Amino acid sequence: MSKNLPNLELLVYALVPLSRINVGIKAELIDHCQDILRSHLGHSPETNLTQLTDLVKRRLLQLSPNGSSASKFTNLASRLLDQPVLSRKQEAILFLFTLSTFDTHQQPAIQMPAVVQPRQPANSRIQPIPVAAAVSNKETAHSNADILKIYRAKKGIFYLDESLLIRDTLYLMQGISGKYVRLEGSKEGDRKTVEFPNDNNVIPLPTQALIRSLAELGHLYSRVESYVRERESASRVGMIEQSLCHYLQAQLTEYYRLIAILETQMSANDKDETLSGDEPLGGRETGLSLRRLDVWVNEWRLRMRMMSICVEGARDTHGGALVNLIHSYTDNGDPFVRGFTDELLEEVSRPFFTTLHKWLFSGELYDPFKEFFVSADSSLGHVNYVHPSSLPGGIGSIPNDAVFGSFNDAEERLGLRNGQKLWEAKYQFRREMLPAFVGESFGKKIFSTGKSLNFIRYSCLDSEWVVTREKMSNTGGTLQYNDIGGLERSIDSAYQVASSRLFEVFIDKFKLLDHLSALKNFLLLGHGDFADQLMETLGPSLSKAANSLFRHNLTASLETAIRSSNIQQDPTEILRRLDARMLEYSHGEIGWDVFTLEYKVDPPIDTVLDQEATEKYLKLFKHLWHMKRIEKALDKGWMKVTGARIIIRLPEMEFEFHKIRMALSEMIHFTRQLEAFCRIEVIEVAWKELTDFLHKKEGDLDALIGAHQHYLDRMSDMIFLKSSKPGKEEVHLRQLSDILTLILQFREATDNFYNHCLSESARRDQELDAERGVYTGPPQDDDAKHRDALVGIQERLNEYGSGVSERVQNLVAQLQVHTNFDCRFLATRLSFSDYYRLKKETQTKA
Amino acid sequence: MSTRESERNSSAQQTLDILYEISQLLNTQLDKATLATCVGMVENGVNPEALAAVVQELRREGSALGVQSTSNAATTR
Repeated sequence: MSKNLPNLELLVYALVPLSRINVGIKAELIDHCQDILRSHLGHSPETNLTQLTDLVKRRLLQLSPNGSSASKFTNLASRLLDQPVLSRKQEAILFLFTLSTFDTHQQPAIQMPAVVQPRQPANSRIQPIPVAAAVSNKETAHSNADILKIYRAKKGIFYLDESLLIRDTLYLMQGISGKYVRLEGSKEGDRKTVEFPNDNNVIPLPTQALIRSLAELGHLYSRVESYVRERESASRVGMIEQSLCHYLQAQLTEYYRLIAILETQMSANDKDETLSGDEPLGGRETGLSLRRLDVWVNEWRLRMRMMSICVEGARDTHGGALVNLIHSYTDNGDPFVRGFTDELLEEVSRPFFTTLHKWLFSGELYDPFKEFFVSADSSLGHVNYVHPSSLPGGIGSIPNDAVFGSFNDAEERLGLRNGQKLWEAKYQFRREMLPAFVGESFGKKIFSTGKSLNFIRYSCLDSEWVVTREKMSNTGGTLQYNDIGGLERSIDSAYQVASSRLFEVFIDKFKLLDHLSALKNFLLLGHGDFADQLMETLGPSLSKAANSLFRHNLTASLETAIRSSNIQQDPTEILRRLDARMLEYSHGEIGWDVFTLEYKVDPPIDTVLDQEATEKYLKLFKHLWHMKRIEKALDKGWMKVTGARIIIRLPEMEFEFHKIRMALSEMIHFTRQLEAFCRIEVIEVAWKELTDFLHKKEGDLDALIGAHQHYLDRMSDMIFLKSSKPGKEEVHLRQLSDILTLILQFREATDNFYNHCLSESARRDQELDAERGVYTGPPQDDDAKHRDALVGIQERLNEYGSGVSERVQNLVAQLQVHTNFDCRFLATRLSFSDYYRLKKETQTKA
Repeated sequence: MSTRESERNSSAQQTLDILYEISQLLNTQLDKATLATCVGMVENGVNPEALAAVVQELRREGSALGVQSTSNAATTR
């Protein structure tokens, strides 16, 4: 420390010139300085060089903001570091820096000795400028504001305090006019404008804009609120709308809470202001301002907008469509909107899911406001609104039953069509009401499931099963919007259970399979022995005129046929449904034309075996029965013609008989092949398909009906040899019936021929007898008359025989290019040995 | 030998110049002689911050005394 003493003396001399003369002062000062130096004042050895230079630069920037001195310093510092002389450069800089910082703290104190300093002018150039500028700025700002204030005071205009406006804005947000800002609404609509009454109070334009944007919230609020109130007072509001209202109400309560919080904020703000006196800036720091309000209610603005949109939508949509509308917003890119919509949908779809649950698990349609995507045709009976949980909506059930009682009677009188109609028309699928999140295919499945359950319950009278199912399903949790996966799973399982149950009911309880096979056996002549017997017993009477037939005779014959054939083993349940009946006949028709078998079915089987199907069966029966008749007739003819050799001895007629036998055998071949084709290739194949489907137990009742219809259509298409060419569907059928008619005529002609030959033969026998002197009867007429008759008969035989052959040839040729592969096969069957082709070739050659 | 001495002197002079410039930048209002004294003291191991305090103190004293003396002079006059 002692070696510093001369230096210190120098320092004292330099800074305090008085000490040079005054030794007392000098000693005092040196003592004082040494005290300070020993005091370890502000000792901070940790500062490193970079930190220090940073500090210095910051200081320099403070002194002259243009940054030139800072860069200059950097330059100097680096040069200093290159110098080899000093060992404590950092400390030297620190010394200068510390000295510099002292300066600013005691500016005036330094300023004074600066006058003594010879270098002062150079320094003062840098320092005073910013200070002076700042001072001058401040002064002008104050003065401008003051000028404005004075001007306004003169004009009598006062800018409103913001806290007053905040209060008004809070009112506006609830749709109420405030003191300074008013909501002016025209009477008719909900169109409202924000008015700023133009008295002495002026609200700056930016503030006005802010208030307007906040007032949007009030407008939306009043719209939503009026909607909720309106729906509350309305008498018949859909459940989905009710739940929407409920949700909106909850949201509005939240909104009230927000307003309340804001209001307390505001009053706290006021209190602060009164406490802190006239220091409004301090109060604003923590309290409420319009801008802050704007930010805070931002989320609510979005929410209100969404609600308002929903409200707008709810005015003209309804039920499922409303759910759909809301659902369309879930695809929004904004996660907030999406979240809000999801939440809303969760709430709104609740009644929908309640209905869905009811429909899916118990087959009950509880939809008093027609909101579900399934609608019931209440005129079709069995429509039951009674809800097991007896919700208040079920009131509609009692008047419904009373009103539609008469309709039900009318329905009963309609009889036959009941089942099918009930299934098809009782419930309708309304696509526009189907929520999009369910999806069309699932909607169909839901629709079908409920319909099946309903059908099982009411038409199949198996409500017990449905009730147990319902109970079971109740334990399995509820359906919800946010669990679409679970929903789909439960729909799938419910669908499967319901449809398999429906099949079970139909097959086990109502013995659908038995009925179908009975239809096949009787109406499609599956039981050959029965058909033969019936033909035999009925044949003679059917040849008579239609008006001479009586139903009781027909039923008696049927009974005989049943008794004498194997089908008497069949259960009586089936047999008693079989009935013989005459169709409506006109003049000139014979029994063959009007006779038909009938198989009666009860509901609910008539859902599958509906009127249309029955008609198809009858048509098929008629055709097959006709073929059977031809076959039998040909059989009889064949027997006669072949047996004729023994009885009739007419050598000159042998050739004729041969020709007839040839023609007959061709016809027999034709009918047999045709019948075999119908039986083996068509009916049995289709039947196999149908039974396969039934055993699989997949799909719903619609699928079952469809399968049965397909079965029938397939059979009639092939049996009637339906052509695929448009407009010519029946062409082959007409050819076929032509052939069959010709065959019958040919058969008649052979009968005539046979009778003729028989009488001729008898005449010759008589002649022979007369020659022998035995009188066996009066002599017959002369030959000429006989010969004429014979010629006529022979002509007819030829005509019919060649006609049949020609037509069959034609038919075969056309069938060979038929679009249906099986029909081509029939052609192959008919012309198995290429008989008709060869025949054609010989014809063309000739 | 003498050239080395002069070299050393010139570099010391240079260093002092640089320090002086920095001091001017920082507006410390020290003249070159005082600065040289102070830097010498710092080189000798004086705590720079304490030294700065000393300079500050002396300036204050000096000015106070200066005012006193001038006022004294005025009264005496």
